[in-house]
Amino acid sequence: MQQPVIELSNLRFSWAAASPIVVDIDTLRVAHAERIFLRGPSGSGKSTLLSLLAGVITPREGTVRVLGQDIGRLGSAARDRFRADHIGFIFQMFNLIPYLSVVENVCLPCGFSGRRRSRAVQAGGTVEAEAVRLLGHLEMADSSVLRRPVTDLSVGQQQRVAAARALIGAPELVIADEPTSSLDADRRSAFLDLLFRECARDRTTLLFVSHDASLASLFDREISFPAINRVTAP
Amino acid sequence: MKQPVVLALAIKSLRNRKFTAALTVLSIALAVLLLLGVERIRHESRESFAAVISGTDLVVGARSSPVHLLLSAVFHIGNATNNLRWDSYLAIAARPEVAWTIPLTLGDSHRGYRVLGTTSGYFEHFRFANDRRLVLAQGRVFADEHEAVLGAEVAQALQYKPGNSIVIAHGAGDVSFSLHEQHPFKVAGILARTGTPVDRTVHVSLEGLNAVHADTGESEAADPLAASVREQRHAAEKTASTARAITAFLIGLKSRSTALSMQRWVNEYSGEPLTAVLPGVALQEVWEITSAVEKTLFAVSGLVVIVGLAGMLVALLTSLSERRREMAILRSVGARPVHVFALILGEAAFLTAAGIALGVAALYTGLLAGQTWLESRLGLFIALGLPSAYEFGLIVLVGTAGLLIGLIPAYRIYRYSLADGMTPRL
Repeated sequence: MQQPVIELSNLRFSWAAASPIVVDIDTLRVAHAERIFLRGPSGSGKSTLLSLLAGVITPREGTVRVLGQDIGRLGSAARDRFRADHIGFIFQMFNLIPYLSVVENVCLPCGFSGRRRSRAVQAGGTVEAEAVRLLGHLEMADSSVLRRPVTDLSVGQQQRVAAARALIGAPELVIADEPTSSLDADRRSAFLDLLFRECARDRTTLLFVSHDASLASLFDREISFPAINRVTAP
Repeated sequence: MKQPVVLALAIKSLRNRKFTAALTVLSIALAVLLLLGVERIRHESRESFAAVISGTDLVVGARSSPVHLLLSAVFHIGNATNNLRWDSYLAIAARPEVAWTIPLTLGDSHRGYRVLGTTSGYFEHFRFANDRRLVLAQGRVFADEHEAVLGAEVAQALQYKPGNSIVIAHGAGDVSFSLHEQHPFKVAGILARTGTPVDRTVHVSLEGLNAVHADTGESEAADPLAASVREQRHAAEKTASTARAITAFLIGLKSRSTALSMQRWVNEYSGEPLTAVLPGVALQEVWEITSAVEKTLFAVSGLVVIVGLAGMLVALLTSLSERRREMAILRSVGARPVHVFALILGEAAFLTAAGIALGVAALYTGLLAGQTWLESRLGLFIALGLPSAYEFGLIVLVGTAGLLIGLIPAYRIYRYSLADGMTPRL
């Protein structure tokens, strides 16, 4: 069996030594190519968990392993590099850099990760061509869309650009934090279809965070965050 | 590979905020223009002043302040208070230390240009700039009391050629009621441009000037007012008309080392009270007078630079809070906090560099456009050379100050970025 993409054990985190623990997870494993639905109300510490997985913060106790790498043992530079190389992110909204074009936004991770750059070049010939190819798969390659400033795009279009950015250079893990909560129902399912299709193509592991339980059935597995986090939200 | 990304981001981010960025660049450019312009004009005016006279060891005139004597006799600024006697001149010129002398008589004018009475020795011995001698562009040196040699600008402005006839007037003003019409001069030659007051001078022989002033009697009946004015002004000259009087004279010594003892000897001359000045020393005194103004101008332009850079600081700081989201996105795609730091610092560096480049370009454009005007109006020849080491130092100083100021917003966003991670707390 392949090693788990995410493996948490005895994870505890608090913002300061004296402040209350906000994340306390005994164990969590996510296997390769799994599509996980992580459900929990806002303010329950989900974002903190994502920051721990991203290596923006390190645990006080226990270990966070991503792709077998113990994140807490890496230095801050190595954590930033690890995130750039292996994890793609999609946030709830305002995902895009306003002064970059659609394609430049999609190419952004390749500027910080040589690994993802070379993988993108391998897949598409050039980074820009790969960006356009991914946008095409997300039905965003229309020249009128590509030439528009990102601030003129609809929220749904912006989220698809963000998805293309998370997927470029084929990172092993894509973390989506409430990516559909600003979309209406039709667009939501269209967005998810596209996202699933792209993740399936490269066997990318998807960690999808949402409070919207109606989406759970679309995923391989649903994890209730309050159930695994032993900290009771106030 | 990451540095180009950050640089490209900085430039695109600035392009997105064109208006603020352009204003910031403009204010820095104006500050740099002012700073360098003040420095350039200060330096060039000194160079230009220092280039007016060269190779002359002493300037001698009637007793007055050294600065006044130098300015009136050599720079033709202001008027000499008194003349000195011809026999005093002869006595000093006969000293064994003296190699050559050039007598100078000022006081008349032609259409606003000074008329200088001198000898042909002037064209032989007078030196300016780095030991350059006067060169004739057209014609020849005056041969008798009816001929004149024009400075380049006089000839150009009044469109004179050798052979033209000119009439000189009493006094230095543009308009004069007492024209010496009885004694016209013929233009014998025109000097090549020197960039010194010589260009704005009409040169005639001492004999020529004496002849002009001797001829005055005839028209007095026709114009009693002018006659009475002339009567007063010529009083001194009339008594001295047998023994001619001159305004000042230049001395070249055989050995420069005797300059101080010669100066003392002239200052203690028993025949009449005289003043001898070393041109370099007197110029130094001029600089001491002007340096207070220069320092004030320099301080003002320095403050303008500070204001310009403070404008940049304000523009960058106010943009920070709205850019925390942007920094979080960059962090999520793998940017390190130091990249975020470099992004803001890079913007400051770019704004400063663009401001400096624009300021320097404006300076040279301005100098190019104003060169002729400055030269003809102020006699100030501004060379369009590369920035001097000092100016380069000023440019580096402004650039460094810009970078140092850029550290403030860069450090703030660095701290935000460390605290925010991928989720900005706004």
